[in-house]
Amino acid sequence: MNAPLPKRLWHWFTRTGVGRSIFRVGLPDSNLERSQAMVSSFLLHVQPAKVHRHALRASYSLGLGLITLYLFVILCVTGVLLMFYYVPSTDKAYDIMKDLQFVVSAGLVLRNMHRWAAHLMVLFVMLHMCRVFYTGAYKSPREFNWVLGVGLFLVTLGLSFTGYLLPWDQLAYWAITVGTSIAGYAPVVGEKLKYLMLGGHVVGQDALTRFYALHVIVLPALAVLMISVHLFRVRKDGGLSRPDEPGEVVQQIDLGQLPTNKSYGLMELARGTTPQVGMNPEDEIFSWPHLVFRELLLFLLVTAVVLFLAIFWNAPLEEIANAVHPPNPAKAPWYFLGLQELVSYSAFWGGVVVPGLLVTALALLPYTDRKRHGVGRWFARERVVANTIFSVCLAIAVVLTVIGSFFRGPNWSWVEPWKNPPAVTEGH
Amino acid sequence: MNSSAPNQEPSRRGFFQLTLGWLAAIFAVTASAAGAVRFLVPNVLFEPDQRFKAGKPNDYLDGSVTFLDDERVFVVRKGNTFRCLSAICTHLGCTVNRAGNGYHCPCHGSVFDDQGLVKSGPAPRPLEWFSVTLSKDNRLLVDKGQRVTEDKYLVI
Repeated sequence: MNAPLPKRLWHWFTRTGVGRSIFRVGLPDSNLERSQAMVSSFLLHVQPAKVHRHALRASYSLGLGLITLYLFVILCVTGVLLMFYYVPSTDKAYDIMKDLQFVVSAGLVLRNMHRWAAHLMVLFVMLHMCRVFYTGAYKSPREFNWVLGVGLFLVTLGLSFTGYLLPWDQLAYWAITVGTSIAGYAPVVGEKLKYLMLGGHVVGQDALTRFYALHVIVLPALAVLMISVHLFRVRKDGGLSRPDEPGEVVQQIDLGQLPTNKSYGLMELARGTTPQVGMNPEDEIFSWPHLVFRELLLFLLVTAVVLFLAIFWNAPLEEIANAVHPPNPAKAPWYFLGLQELVSYSAFWGGVVVPGLLVTALALLPYTDRKRHGVGRWFARERVVANTIFSVCLAIAVVLTVIGSFFRGPNWSWVEPWKNPPAVTEGH
Repeated sequence: MNSSAPNQEPSRRGFFQLTLGWLAAIFAVTASAAGAVRFLVPNVLFEPDQRFKAGKPNDYLDGSVTFLDDERVFVVRKGNTFRCLSAICTHLGCTVNRAGNGYHCPCHGSVFDDQGLVKSGPAPRPLEWFSVTLSKDNRLLVDKGQRVTEDKYLVI
């Protein structure tokens, strides 16, 4: 009995009476209990009892997917809290923003957290996608999970875009006016789609109501569903991608060859890509405590960073939405600025064709690049062609975004950010 | 395990049951989806009337171009002729500003001349001209629902 008192008390609580009925397995002491702790808990059983050594290597995954998930959790919590005050009405929405800023206790910091977490989530979805590409992790058997990821990328952009309108300030109003007009350029269905999104011809009360419904229930529900399947598939497709090991025998069972007139236990049906198959005992690490504690630590870190940003930098709030005077220049959110730069050349080609082709190419990627090499390593030499193409596209997107963000001034004219901007002349 | 099903000959009754069942299921799903989409298309819009009175003709000076905030239009007077130009950029719906003799869009840099024609930038079409008539009480009556060509104007 050398353990400290709190630990002894916790042991006593979780191993007797009410405590045991809640926790089933207390803090584990043996390897058996470490497995049971993972398997018998609702929140933990999403993960296997043991993981491959490679999956815990932070320099491989960089924790990007997990960070994105945590940002989503933060967004849900802060978002629900904001809903207790917010009213999606063109008469009230802006005043409530001011209330959150100046009157409501902790209103400012919660709104800031929501804003920063939203920006970061878009950024980390993109970074996560880059990681998966550069490590070749989308290859068989993870093709479909990549497609789900592309879907989640679009849902994230949708969540961010619909949330953008809700403060009903100038930034909100004009970003949505420009964004929905781009949708209007889509062939055949464009105008109808725009009418359906706005619930009318202009950005007004109907548009605000619709964006609110999409933002607080439709898209979050879709995101939760897709994230669940995404995580489920990470596990079913064999855990985190890793390089093939020499001499590793992957057991593949062809279900079609099995007699159907008897019943099977789970072990007999397990496919070759579950995390346990082909894993040598010396490569396995117990999820409890190694994986679980790292995850907790990362969650704390992400929350701390978001809180830090929210305390020191306020979310922007411009003047109340004014249908007559667009700010000059009127800019979309940063992640759409590359798109806006393209749109300034041609709304149809830049706003519809290029992004449409890009998303299609991304979604079909695992089915077009079917070679089985270079999985599980960063910048594998065998994948130099694919990596080069991806990097060039990425560089173009970054350059366009930087131009749109810093090099475009009034009337979308070219400005050099290190010089003073020219005076704007508004001649009505 | 039900081992008898795959070996049975398909019967006529089974075929009809299957076909009807699938048709009913497809119909139910399609009809509810169509209903839901139709529900989302508004039948009545509470948007402002497209027609408005723009005051007396003499409120506008000869040779002036006046911006009307609430309606997002320019009223153009030259001698005794009146025209009305839309201030909504044909590119992505921003409000254009009067600049020099023409108009500038602040969002993506489209430039229009004094006739609303595109001089540069991404705008696909010229700015629109709206019909101007004189109401019974001698006010300018602009109908934003009715487009006209740039050579149509009201003469007082």
